Amino acid sequence: MKEMMLAAPVFLPLAGGAALLALSGRQREKDGPAVRIISGVFTLGVSLVIFWLLNRSPKDSLVLFRLYGSLTVKFQMDPMGSVFLGLIGFLWPLATLYAFEYMKYEERKPAFFAYYLMTYGITAGIALAGNLVTLYLFYEMLTLVTFPLVLHPMTKEAQRASRKYLYYSISGAAFAFIGLVFLLSYSATGTTEFIAGGNLNMEAARGQKNLLLLAYILAFFGFGVKAALFPVHGWLPKATVAPTPVTALLHAVAVVKSGAFAILRLTYFSYGTEFLKGTWAQWAVLSATIITIAFGSTMAVREIHWKRRLAYSTISNLSYILFGAALMSPLGIMASLCHLMAHAFMKICSFFCAGAVIHQTGKTFVYELDGLGKRMPVTFACLTVASLSLMGIPLFAGFISKWNLIHGAFSLGTGWTKGMGRILPFMGAGVILYSALMTGIYMLTVLVRAYFPKDTSGGPDRTETEENISDPGWRMLLPLMVFAAVILLMGIKPEVFLQMDRLRQIGGTIG
Amino acid sequence: MSFVQNFPFFSIIIAMFSGIISSVLSGKKARNVTFGAILIILILSAGVLHFCSGQGSYTYMMGHFPAPWGNEIRAGVLEGLTAVFFCLVMLLSVLGGMKHTEQDIESSKHNLFYIMVDLMLSSLLALIYTNDLFTAYVFVEINTIAGCGMILIRQKGRSLSSAIRYMILSQLGSGLFLIGLSLLYDVTGHLLMSPAKEAVAVIEAAGTYGIPMLVIVAVISVGLAIKSGLYPFHYWIPDTYGYATPAASAILSGLVSKGYIFLLIKIFYRVLGQENVIASQIVNVLFVFGLAGMVMGSLHAILERDMRRMIAFSSVAQIGYIYMGIGLGTQAGMIAAIFHIFTHSATKALLFISAVGLYEVSGDRKDYKSLRGSGYRNPLAGIGFGIGALSMVGFPMLSGFISKLLFATSALQSPSKMLPTLIVLAVSTVLNAVYFLRMVITIYSIPREKEKSMKEGESLPGSWNLRLAITCFILLNLTLGLFSQPIVKAIGNGLAMFA
Amino acid sequence: MFNMEQHLHLILPVILPVAAGGAMLAGKPLKENKRAGRVVLLLALGLELLLVAQALMKGGGMVFWHLTGTMELAFQIDEISVLFAALTSGIWLLVGIYGISYMSFEHRENQFFGWYLVVLGVLIGLDFSGNLLTMYVFYELMTLTSLPLVLHERTHQAVMAGLKYLFYSVAGAFLALFGIFFLAGIAESLTFVPGGTVTREIIAGKEGLFLGAVVCMIIGFGAKAGMFPLHGWLPTAHPEAPAPASAVLSGIITKSGVLAVIRVVFYIVGPDNLRGTWVQNVWILLSLLTVFMGSMLAYKEPMLKKRLAYSTVSQVSYILFGLSVLNPVAFAGALSHVMFHSLIKNALFLCAGAVIVTTGRKQVNEMKGLGKIMPKALLCYTIVSLGLIGIPPLCGFVSKWYLAAGALASDTGVWSFLGPAVLLISALLTAGYLLPVSLNGFFPGEDLPCGDCMPKEQGKKEPSLSMLVPIGILTAGTLLSGIFPQSFFAMLTGIAERVF
Repeated sequence: MKEMMLAAPVFLPLAGGAALLALSGRQREKDGPAVRIISGVFTLGVSLVIFWLLNRSPKDSLVLFRLYGSLTVKFQMDPMGSVFLGLIGFLWPLATLYAFEYMKYEERKPAFFAYYLMTYGITAGIALAGNLVTLYLFYEMLTLVTFPLVLHPMTKEAQRASRKYLYYSISGAAFAFIGLVFLLSYSATGTTEFIAGGNLNMEAARGQKNLLLLAYILAFFGFGVKAALFPVHGWLPKATVAPTPVTALLHAVAVVKSGAFAILRLTYFSYGTEFLKGTWAQWAVLSATIITIAFGSTMAVREIHWKRRLAYSTISNLSYILFGAALMSPLGIMASLCHLMAHAFMKICSFFCAGAVIHQTGKTFVYELDGLGKRMPVTFACLTVASLSLMGIPLFAGFISKWNLIHGAFSLGTGWTKGMGRILPFMGAGVILYSALMTGIYMLTVLVRAYFPKDTSGGPDRTETEENISDPGWRMLLPLMVFAAVILLMGIKPEVFLQMDRLRQIGGTIG
Repeated sequence: MSFVQNFPFFSIIIAMFSGIISSVLSGKKARNVTFGAILIILILSAGVLHFCSGQGSYTYMMGHFPAPWGNEIRAGVLEGLTAVFFCLVMLLSVLGGMKHTEQDIESSKHNLFYIMVDLMLSSLLALIYTNDLFTAYVFVEINTIAGCGMILIRQKGRSLSSAIRYMILSQLGSGLFLIGLSLLYDVTGHLLMSPAKEAVAVIEAAGTYGIPMLVIVAVISVGLAIKSGLYPFHYWIPDTYGYATPAASAILSGLVSKGYIFLLIKIFYRVLGQENVIASQIVNVLFVFGLAGMVMGSLHAILERDMRRMIAFSSVAQIGYIYMGIGLGTQAGMIAAIFHIFTHSATKALLFISAVGLYEVSGDRKDYKSLRGSGYRNPLAGIGFGIGALSMVGFPMLSGFISKLLFATSALQSPSKMLPTLIVLAVSTVLNAVYFLRMVITIYSIPREKEKSMKEGESLPGSWNLRLAITCFILLNLTLGLFSQPIVKAIGNGLAMFA
Repeated sequence: MFNMEQHLHLILPVILPVAAGGAMLAGKPLKENKRAGRVVLLLALGLELLLVAQALMKGGGMVFWHLTGTMELAFQIDEISVLFAALTSGIWLLVGIYGISYMSFEHRENQFFGWYLVVLGVLIGLDFSGNLLTMYVFYELMTLTSLPLVLHERTHQAVMAGLKYLFYSVAGAFLALFGIFFLAGIAESLTFVPGGTVTREIIAGKEGLFLGAVVCMIIGFGAKAGMFPLHGWLPTAHPEAPAPASAVLSGIITKSGVLAVIRVVFYIVGPDNLRGTWVQNVWILLSLLTVFMGSMLAYKEPMLKKRLAYSTVSQVSYILFGLSVLNPVAFAGALSHVMFHSLIKNALFLCAGAVIVTTGRKQVNEMKGLGKIMPKALLCYTIVSLGLIGIPPLCGFVSKWYLAAGALASDTGVWSFLGPAVLLISALLTAGYLLPVSLNGFFPGEDLPCGDCMPKEQGKKEPSLSMLVPIGILTAGTLLSGIFPQSFFAMLTGIAERVF
């Protein structure tokens, strides 16, 4: 019976979303409390179910149906999935609360919240997927339920962005599919089941080593689309036209982390590190992540649109996670999961601050933020915490994950005496630090502007409207403060709040 | 002999007779007769399928005349399955396009359309069941005529010129096919498939007639490839599908081209011998053109602004998939190709019919701008189009995914063709995504302010038959996507029975 | 995990200024009230001095936080902590007193003092740090909390200078972090132990990487000390800040870069692991280059505060040079120069500030006749300038003597005499850029007073007493420590013995 509950986090939101869509047909454009009640109740309910599951952690798996042959749609909870599941289970209700306030004056609310809720279910499906096919299925579905959210503003820009998003994601899936097919053909069990340490038939695989490695790389880049890997990152900065709750939760956490999560699954549970370690494929993906880290943070510095800047920052930070994944060691996956959690909180907090500013003032460019730190003190305090954490200042969450990442890189690098393994991990460590510097530049310039406006001799040249700017309502502030608090707690007491022991265990079992 | 074994013959005859009866009936009655006939044939075909999956295949001598005088029909699992499927698609296409059929065609000519439908069905069934090469040729011609009639009957726009184009290319294909047949008859002395195959085996074993055999394989393949619209012989497709009445487009793209492909596969297996065909390298040629079609068809579709022409160009790509599967030259590839025949008929018909629902509510205009927001004005058609598009892109749980999976896994079995297949599959998926999903976004984006006033209130759910057809097509797609296992198994069985 | 009562004396000196500063920044009643702000500032600074003194006397160490199983934050007091913490809290009090009257000419006084106090707490934490990680934590915090001091003026230049300061510091810190990560991977612990914890066995097989990491750390931490190539922020940022801020930035915060380098090289890496390697050569080269370059630039700079900032670049690299030759005598010299340069440079900046607030003059060539207006201040300026140049019996002479003697005694090949030569040239340049102010001030020559550069009302206009007294104390310190350096040097030599 317990394993039946595994389907609940996936299908409850879908049902709720369907109900909301039906509602949107009935009374379009109307904003009664019904929308809020339904999405609120469902979101909370699903989170409760998720935490119940995390508490009980059912051992059995649940096979929903058979897609074709040995391809089943199957749910299963394992430690790594629980990390991701717990993360979204925590973030979603808060983000929904924020969205209630943010979307107050927007049109077509029922549709928005319907897709927002459905995305919850699909993301939970990714976390719970018990084999690569299920993961692939939900990965594709994720594209579908999130593109209406990008399209939501319905402007020409939004149309272009959603089109780009769709093209990139579907194309990525097409390449991931190749990896899937190869895995299916060379799997040890004849299925695509996730098995810690890999599910390849080593005998058969050895003969086709280069081919399989190529397939792995294709799949890596395929799933990497969602994780905004260079050069397939282009959709992410464009997708910031979506309302902030979407950019924050989806394009900084749910969607992009699904890509990263899929890559972790692919690397550690499907192809297996034993097969990949030390091959040219590892060096290739490692280089790709290093390039992305450098690229993303450099572009973020050049960008003056605030949300796009944060999006570029996401690009670079996601590749931290992928860098950890590509290290293919217990330390690597530990660091990777660590950053997966830490970055979720940091980035959602930053985006929510940007959203709060947009909501209160309509300002979207960095150069417009002068002096807002005084008028919106709570918002900017939270942003400060998030920024310092993103930079990787000690005592904040970001430092812990960065520490682990570089530690992992060094222990990989010192294990090699020559070749790429000798160079790349250190390059990676260097680039991560370079990126940290860039992070400092692009995050702190915002803060400096906000807190230390250029003094125009203190004259009262501010317009009337600017005088009225204040912190947003409690629905927006509460999530912000919770996120900031979590970042601090994670940084000060990572053993407890990042569950380092658990992550270490995960690393130990599969690395 | 079981009574069921008569069913294939009955199906062909019923279709023909309903055509003949329709010629003297008014439009409405002709329609009812046609529907009745298709329904009955559907049930009969299901019976055949059931019988064959229990008892295996059989040949049926018409009037008990033995060869070489008699005419033979052969039925197996694959034939039964295909017949069931074609009937289903035919039924739903006619149903879905009914309203437009009545609008597009002069009322005095309504019955003529249904005659063409009946003739088309009978010829398709004959192509499926025949065990006789000459019968096949005859019905190929009938099929061509019915096809032309279906296009021409809508006397608007460029349907006349497109019908002529279709006619010319079709005739070229038929001619080549006929040449192939004559040569084959010359060499083997048989027109019935089974004895012809024995004769071919003897010839191959003796090693004589090397060049004539090669020519036969080539000419028959090319002839049928032209008729089914394989790239680069696809020029007739966009105009034809784009300007015919929707039901006709759905039938032409979903069924007619597939009938020829089915015939080609049957000839490969039952006459020429699959191993001989593979040895002749013709499959490699088909493979290459299939790959080219997959890419070029999609590229054309991307450039297309008119919704229906876009769907038509997509057919070129999909035909490419099928030929690629055949061209892989393996059993698995062939299974994939046949499964894709089903996938594509179900999906393409769904797309054409949903498109009807969408442009109905957009002032009958088919360009991107006018279609904006149509997904809200006709929700079911929007969903139908979305599902069709996703299926073409290869979204899991839909039929297209299974085809893609089958193609990819079968590609892994032929090392030399593996990489090109996989890469083109991926590229083609990307291209499909580009044009199909662009359309999906368009129909779900809200029109700009100034355009809004034009279409406000034009929110029609469409006629009941359109809705029914779309719903059934969606279900068909989901069935193919979710319960593909028995179907694929049946295809495998059927192919085994061919040999 | 940690015993509060027992180790309160270590925590309190860090907490107190931060809390007081925080209260001034955030607390509504304190924020606006200037008088209350001053009282709090003086109380906090005074109390802090006592607390630090008590902590230094008691000594000891403690782990006060476990981040993860392997990452601990710890305090530990040793001689280096004593030296730096005593210097820091002393100077902070003097400059604070000066600042009260200086800042009454500026806006947002209490905001400035708030941050001023916070930085003090962080610096004391830095001095007390018992391991590399803790030091890094406080090092980063120092950068961030001292930023508002630079930004205080909020002019365009100030904001730009602040950002430049921030990015150079952060870049340096991250460069250093690379090395920290490496050391964390190989060393058994990052706790500071005199003479270093890294043994030959640990680095066997990865010497190249090890040396690379060390170079990263030296250059990275060197950024705060204004060492070439990351020196660019210093001449931009220091002059933009208000005088008290530039004084402590130049006098103390640059020294925290030195502290970090000392901790890394002499307490983790171990001087023996570097002796004779390319790292040492690079380090010597960079520091000498900086010494020379800083002096040259100072010599050419017309603006007084900027000139002093360039002088800091040059002088702090004296210290780094003394460290880089890896010789006990030079090491002692370097440590003494930390102290002496701090006294002198603070006095110089305070004088410059006094000139600015009383006369508004900023350029060196405007200083003519200054001796007529503010003779006491200029006298102090002259005395400490002589000290910096290294004229006996002032303190600069002593430290430079040790530096040069150590360098000559070291076995660094060509550097052992090239170094002292560069120091000598730089000393000449120092005289060249510092003394013209005094000369012109006291002996303006015939063509003065001109209309612009003399105030309308003739006569004396000394800065207020609360400004003069700190300057005076610093000057006295310069004199006395030059005349009686024995006990101080005994302590430094003791440290050097333990370290080598």
